[in-house]
Amino acid sequence: MPAYNLYMGCSVPANYPNYEASMLKVALALGMELEYMENVACCGSPNLRAIDYLGWLTVNARTLAIAEENGHDIVTPCNGCFASLKDTLHHLKHDESDMKKVNSELKKLGLTFKGTIKVRHFIEALYTDIGVEEIRKKVTNPLDGIGISIHYGCHLMRPADVTGFRPEILDELVSLTGATVIEYPIWKQCCGATVLPVNEPLAIRLARDKIKSMKEAGAAFAAVVCPACGNQLDLQQLGLKDSYGEVYDLPVLLYPQILALAMGMDESEIGLEMNRVPADTILDHLTS
Amino acid sequence: MSDAEEQTGPPITLVEPIDVSKLDSEFRKTIRSMPNGEELMACFACSTCTAACPIANQWDYKPHQLIRMILLGMRDDVLSSKEIWECLTCFQCQERCPQKVRVTDIFFDCKNLAAEEGMIPDNIIGLARELAEKGQLYVVTADWEREDLGLEPEVPGLSANGIREILKTTRTNKIVGGES
Repeated sequence: MPAYNLYMGCSVPANYPNYEASMLKVALALGMELEYMENVACCGSPNLRAIDYLGWLTVNARTLAIAEENGHDIVTPCNGCFASLKDTLHHLKHDESDMKKVNSELKKLGLTFKGTIKVRHFIEALYTDIGVEEIRKKVTNPLDGIGISIHYGCHLMRPADVTGFRPEILDELVSLTGATVIEYPIWKQCCGATVLPVNEPLAIRLARDKIKSMKEAGAAFAAVVCPACGNQLDLQQLGLKDSYGEVYDLPVLLYPQILALAMGMDESEIGLEMNRVPADTILDHLTS
Repeated sequence: MSDAEEQTGPPITLVEPIDVSKLDSEFRKTIRSMPNGEELMACFACSTCTAACPIANQWDYKPHQLIRMILLGMRDDVLSSKEIWECLTCFQCQERCPQKVRVTDIFFDCKNLAAEEGMIPDNIIGLARELAEKGQLYVVTADWEREDLGLEPEVPGLSANGIREILKTTRTNKIVGGES
């Protein structure tokens, strides 16, 4: 049974308990041992990286150093946390001077960063360590081929030499639930989350463009694997009626919710009613 | 109308002339010495970064122009620009650069320099304050939602002390006007 250091960050536990619960339930059913990390909080996000690079490096190197104590890889459900930790790991491994600076700060906290563990997004650990074949064996109520478009999220895919993530992973994970992956023109494009604090209309325009593109390509649902992207595509979608006079009714699900349903779990276990655009119509597409 | 008459007055230009006396030749060296700034000089202004950027159409300075401005030494114009803060950090520019210039990372470097000089949008200062005070950008408010799903009402293992302590010793403390 593979064991992991579970790093939640701050957004998923505060805003998306439905993501947290569905991830934990899917992991348990598939034999992944996710252990909440002790004494950690927020990764600082790209905002901290923008204003205080050394502070951001140190915060994330501290998280990595804590995880190194038991030697298990870090797993996180958030693209933002994934990027902060992965970027820090990559940078410090390639920059001796910053490595020294950060470690002299960590020493005061009784920690040392060595760079001995990996940082993984939950879906990548699911795909690599459990594998498509094993997961498929647990699918008891596959979807009926309904179309789902995927928003992967920038910080999961890029920079590719840092994240090392292949988007095909998520295509396969969605397909094994019985859904049809619907490609759409701007699949690589940003959801707009990062620009929200400085230019809200621009952030909303970007989210709207994505939703529109998915819908026009024929998607009935959207899948995301990040709380910030989820916020943009799901919550912001409700405001498009006022700002753009447009209604898309495109339910947005966190990937583990889709998998949990296909594995026969109940909608109440995965907090389906917390999704902002009503998503219960997905239940009509489950076969038994 | 003769040709001679047409040519009186200042020449018509497509962009504002650059004031050479304001250029800072050290700026490019500064950026090159910062994280992932090494490849800066390899830019040949092909503007692939701009073609890849989903929001360049509404920017006064396009991504390739910002890189060129750094190379020319237009420090004040770059560091006071709204563009560096509106960068989505989607890394599309960086991913497609044929010269391996780490464009998005370089914009992060610019933001750090601007931050050091106190040029930060108000809402970002607000986020810095959240991090300095609470150690988190989001805190659990609806703990009943967590309980309904069988989760602990408080996030297991959560402690914001570590991040708060670190940020007391770094630039964030200066940004939020904390005690030194």
